[in-house]
Amino acid sequence: MSTRRRLFLGLLILLGLAAVVMGVEFGRGFLVRSPEQALADAAPGSVPLYVNGSLAALFTPADLEPLKKASFLDAEESKTQEGWLLADILRLYLPEQALLSDTRVVVSSSSRGKSVELTWLQISEPENMILFSLSGRGTLKLASRLPGFDIRDTWIQDTDRIEVLEP
Amino acid sequence: MKSMRLSGYFSTFQLILLALFSALIVVAKVALRTPLQLPGHSGIFWMAIMLVAVRVVPKRGAPSLVGLTSGLLAGFMGVGDFGMFDTLLSYTAVGLGVDLALLLLPDVENIAQAALVGALGHLGKFLVKWILGVLTQAPVGFIALGLARSLAGYVIFGAIGGVLAALTLAALRRAGFFAYLAEKK
Repeated sequence: MSTRRRLFLGLLILLGLAAVVMGVEFGRGFLVRSPEQALADAAPGSVPLYVNGSLAALFTPADLEPLKKASFLDAEESKTQEGWLLADILRLYLPEQALLSDTRVVVSSSSRGKSVELTWLQISEPENMILFSLSGRGTLKLASRLPGFDIRDTWIQDTDRIEVLEP
Repeated sequence: MKSMRLSGYFSTFQLILLALFSALIVVAKVALRTPLQLPGHSGIFWMAIMLVAVRVVPKRGAPSLVGLTSGLLAGFMGVGDFGMFDTLLSYTAVGLGVDLALLLLPDVENIAQAALVGALGHLGKFLVKWILGVLTQAPVGFIALGLARSLAGYVIFGAIGGVLAALTLAALRRAGFFAYLAEKK
């Protein structure tokens, strides 16, 4: 067999293998993509947003960049807590009609074993400053000035789940 | 028993050479860092060393043995992001891929053939990582970066490694290394 023919066949095998990989991946990504797979394939650090148990959205801190930031001085250590208001994030991903005054929102961290349940009424009150600030290692920390939820011990560091429970 | 069969097929001198090439692959993987933050960029070193080994010990199975040995070494040294099993399989796959590619493209001193053998061999490593990702449904890092980009990275860097090997082999030939090697056998 001539060298040219060998090279041609080698190139054909290379392209064939690449086509098989891309074809299978296309099928895997677009035809059989379940919410679990979406979660598994999500970028590291993505936070899933569930509505009544169903996955509604996945976002990373980078996705929140377009939102306007808010800040407050925490009473405990007089440090500025700056980030994105939870109300703005929920408005970004959910229709306004899904957010009623008695809609409950549970924000939790599996690694810290912590969670907090808030109502939309509390979240949407600008004075409460319920916001996600970015920690040094890039995870989201839910902080606020809401009485009873205004010290570090109660805040939710390393948030990895938001659950919206509609009435 | 297996080592007796191996030493019957390869001479002791050849086995020592293959072990040295295996160690060199692991050392290159650990010590040589390129500023390219692209998937598969280590294939430049990988495939260059592997294809030089193929020509220095021109026997069927030599690249597979180099892949397996370097995989074991790398696995025990904790090289790789996805555990020892993945490391062992992916390193062995490079050797197997080169062995299979050599059936069609045996002349690794020819730059074009060496580039293609390098690309095909390095693709073996990509395929193992990809198949493991598919089977386990695990979020594999390179998939997050874009599968096409990763695939292209593995092929291109493998091919560059092949070209480097062909150039190295030409230099070794000019220096009379292969004549020296023939005397050692």
